[in-house]
Amino acid sequence: MKTLPSRRGVIPAGIAAALSLALAACGGGSGGGATAAPSAAAPSATAAVQDALSKPAELTFWTWVTGIEKTVARFTTKYPNIKVNVVNTGQSADQYTKLQTAIKAGSGAPDVAQIEYFALPQFALAKQVVNLADYGAAALKDKFADSAWGQVAINGGVYGVPQDTGPMAMFYRKDIFDKLKIKPPATWAEFVDAAKKIKAADSGSFITSIDPGDAGGVDSLIWQAGGAPFKTSGESSVSVKLDSDPGVKQWVGTMSTLLGEKLVDPQPGWTDEWWKGMGSGKYAVWLTGAWAPNGIINSIPKTKGKWAVAPMPQYDAAKPMNAENGGSSVAVIPQSKNIPAAVAFAQWLNSDPEAVKSLNTEAGLFPATKVLLDDPAFRDAPQEFFGGQKINQVLGDASAAVRPGWQYLPFQVYANSIFKDTVGQAIDSGGDLSAALKTWQDRISAFGTEQGFTLTSGG
Amino acid sequence: MTAPAGLAGPVSAPAGLARPALRLRVAGYAFFLPFFVVFLVAVVAPLAYAIYLSFFQERMIGGTVFAGVANYTRAIGDALFGAGLLRVALFLVVQVPVMLLIALGCALAIDSGRLRWPSMFRITIFMPYAVPAVVSALMWGYMYGDQFGLVGQIGEGLGVAVPDLLSRSWMLSSIGNMVTWEFVGYNMIILYAALRAVPGELYEAAEMDGAGAIRIAWSIKLPALRPALLVATIFSIIGSFQLFNEPNILQKLAPAVIGTSYTPNMYAYNLAFNGQQINYSATVAVVLGVVTIIVAYAVQIITARREKTL
Repeated sequence: MKTLPSRRGVIPAGIAAALSLALAACGGGSGGGATAAPSAAAPSATAAVQDALSKPAELTFWTWVTGIEKTVARFTTKYPNIKVNVVNTGQSADQYTKLQTAIKAGSGAPDVAQIEYFALPQFALAKQVVNLADYGAAALKDKFADSAWGQVAINGGVYGVPQDTGPMAMFYRKDIFDKLKIKPPATWAEFVDAAKKIKAADSGSFITSIDPGDAGGVDSLIWQAGGAPFKTSGESSVSVKLDSDPGVKQWVGTMSTLLGEKLVDPQPGWTDEWWKGMGSGKYAVWLTGAWAPNGIINSIPKTKGKWAVAPMPQYDAAKPMNAENGGSSVAVIPQSKNIPAAVAFAQWLNSDPEAVKSLNTEAGLFPATKVLLDDPAFRDAPQEFFGGQKINQVLGDASAAVRPGWQYLPFQVYANSIFKDTVGQAIDSGGDLSAALKTWQDRISAFGTEQGFTLTSGG
Repeated sequence: MTAPAGLAGPVSAPAGLARPALRLRVAGYAFFLPFFVVFLVAVVAPLAYAIYLSFFQERMIGGTVFAGVANYTRAIGDALFGAGLLRVALFLVVQVPVMLLIALGCALAIDSGRLRWPSMFRITIFMPYAVPAVVSALMWGYMYGDQFGLVGQIGEGLGVAVPDLLSRSWMLSSIGNMVTWEFVGYNMIILYAALRAVPGELYEAAEMDGAGAIRIAWSIKLPALRPALLVATIFSIIGSFQLFNEPNILQKLAPAVIGTSYTPNMYAYNLAFNGQQINYSATVAVVLGVVTIIVAYAVQIITARREKTL
C-alpha cells in the first residue's frame, strides 16, 4: 500500500506552491505519530498537496455537521479553482454504512468524509482511508491539542485531520443546585451525595440520566475513570479487558451505587422525552462532551441563564483526569481521483486559523486546535446563555486534562452496536454491571476472533 | 420423454406448418423476454447472489474464504436468531388473527350497505396504510411516551397510572398495535373486493329462502371470503417474519428493550451494516426466507385440507 501515494505524488513537484498552507514551511516532516513507525512523506507528495490548491478540482465531502457549509464557502472563496460539494448522508453509523458500501463497491465514495474518532481505527485498519502522513500531514501535529491528535495517530500513521473534540465536562442546572444549597460536586463521592439530596427533594428528579444504548458515553466515563480496556497492537492483535481493567471497576463501583439507589435515570438520550426532562429540571446534570452548549441552546432555549459548567467529578481529587466524548476527524478516501486536493482541503478546513474560527462560531464545534483553544478571545468570552460564565475556560482546561493512552477497538462500531444488547440491559434493569460487561467482552471477543484478530481477553 | 409428438417441436411437424409455428414461437419469446430479463436481474440474481454469499466468510484480517455450510450450521444453532424467530412467531400468532378479524368486521360492515358514508369509512380505515411506516413509527413512538407522550398525558389527566408502553413487557403489544393500525385497511380492501365479487343472485336467493343478514354473512359471505382470507393470511405471515421498520425506529426510544437481534430482519441488518458480516447476514436472510416459505406453505396446505373435509 505504501507505493500508492508516491505513485500519485509523481505530479510535478517543481512548481513551488506560493500558497499559504502552513505545512509548507515544515516540508516532509518526520513521522510524528504517537508511535514510531516511520512514514515520512515523499517530498513530492507534500508539494503536490500545496500545488493542488491552485488547480481546478471538484471534491465531494460527506459530513453531518450543520453549518459547515459556511466554513466550506470560505475555502472556496479563497481557492476558487476547487469546487466542494457538501453532502449529508446521515449521522455516524448511518454514514459509515453508506461509506463502507461505496468503498467496497469501488465507486460512489466521497473524496473527503467526516469520521468520528471511535470509528477511525476501523477505517484505518482496513486501509479505507488515506494515510495522511504520506502527504506530509504529520507536520500538523503541533497545531492540535494532544487529545485530538492522539485519536488520529493510529499505528504510526495519520488517518484523519482532527476537526472537533469533546472533552468531558459537567453541565449543571445552577438554579437547582442553588435552591438545594448544593455545591457542584468535585468528586464522584460528592456526586453521589448530591444525587441523594436531589432525590430527597423531589422523588421524580434525578441528578442525571444514563443512556442504555450509548456505548460512547460509557466508554468516555470509563476513560475518565482511568480505564483503558481496549488495546490494539500491530494490525491484528487486540486485547479486551472489560472484566479486569481497574478503571472499569472504578466506574462500575460508582455507577452501581447510582443505579442501585435509583439516583440516575436509565433513559435514552436525545429523544423528545429526554429533552423535555432536561428542560423541566427532571435532570440536574449532563455529563458530556464540550460540544453540548449548542444542543442545550437550540433544544431547550427556555432554560437560558439556568445552566453552568464545571469540571468532571474526580475519583481522586489529587490526580484529576478527563476524557473525550465524541468528536470527529476528516479523512480522505483512497477512491478519490484527486487525493492531493482532498488532503489540502481537509487540512485547510481543520487547521487554518480562519477555518477553525468559523467551525467554532458558525458550525458550533468545540475546537481541536491549540491556536483557538489558547486564544484569549475564545477562552475569555462570557456566554450569555450560561449567565455570563466564561465556559470556554472550563472546557479548555478540560481539554488539557484529557488522559492520554485511551484506544478504541479496530471494530468499535460493531462493539458499540451490541452494547445495548449487553451492558445496556443491566443499566436499564438495574442488573449486575460487572456480569454485563463480561458478556459484552465475550461477544466482542467472539466477533474479533471470527474476523481473524488475535484476541486476548480478560485479566 | 414421453411427450406427445405434437409437442416435440417443428421437426416432427408437417413442413407446411413449420414456419408460421416457428414465427409464432419466436414472437412469443420476444413478448416474454422483457419480463424475463427484469425477472432475472431483479429477482433471481439478488437471490442467487445472497445464496452465493452465504457460502463464504469475509474477515477483516485474512480476506474471504470458502466456508461451506459453516454459516448455516451456525445460523441453526444461533440463540440470538432463534430468539428473534420465536418473537416474531409469537407476534404472528397474536397480532395476525386480531388484525384480520378487525379487517373482516370492517369489510362486512361496509358491504352490508347499512353505513351512511361507506366510502368515507373505507378511506379513513385505509388511510394509515398510506402513511410511511417510518413516519407512523415515529408518531406512535411519541404517543407511547409515558411521561410527556400522549398516552402519559391522558393517563395523568385521568389520574390513572399508565404502564410504560415501551417497556420490556409491553413492547411487542405496542408494536402489534402499530402494525394493526397500519394494515387493517389494507386487508379490509382485499376482503371487501372479494365480497364485491359475490353474484347478487346468491343474496336474492337467500333472501327468498328467508335468510336474515347474519345468516347471509355466515353462509354466503364468509365462505366466499375464504380464498381472500387465505391470501391476506399469507401476506400477513410474510409481513410478520419481515418485521423491521417499527422496532428499528422504536429502538432509539428503548435501546435496552429492542436489541440488535430483536427480529430476524433486524439481526440480518445489524450483522451486515454494523458488523460487516455480510456473509453471515446473507445466511440469516436465506434461512429466514426458507422458514417463512415453510410456514406460509403449511398454512396453505392445512387450509386446503380443511376445505376438503368440509
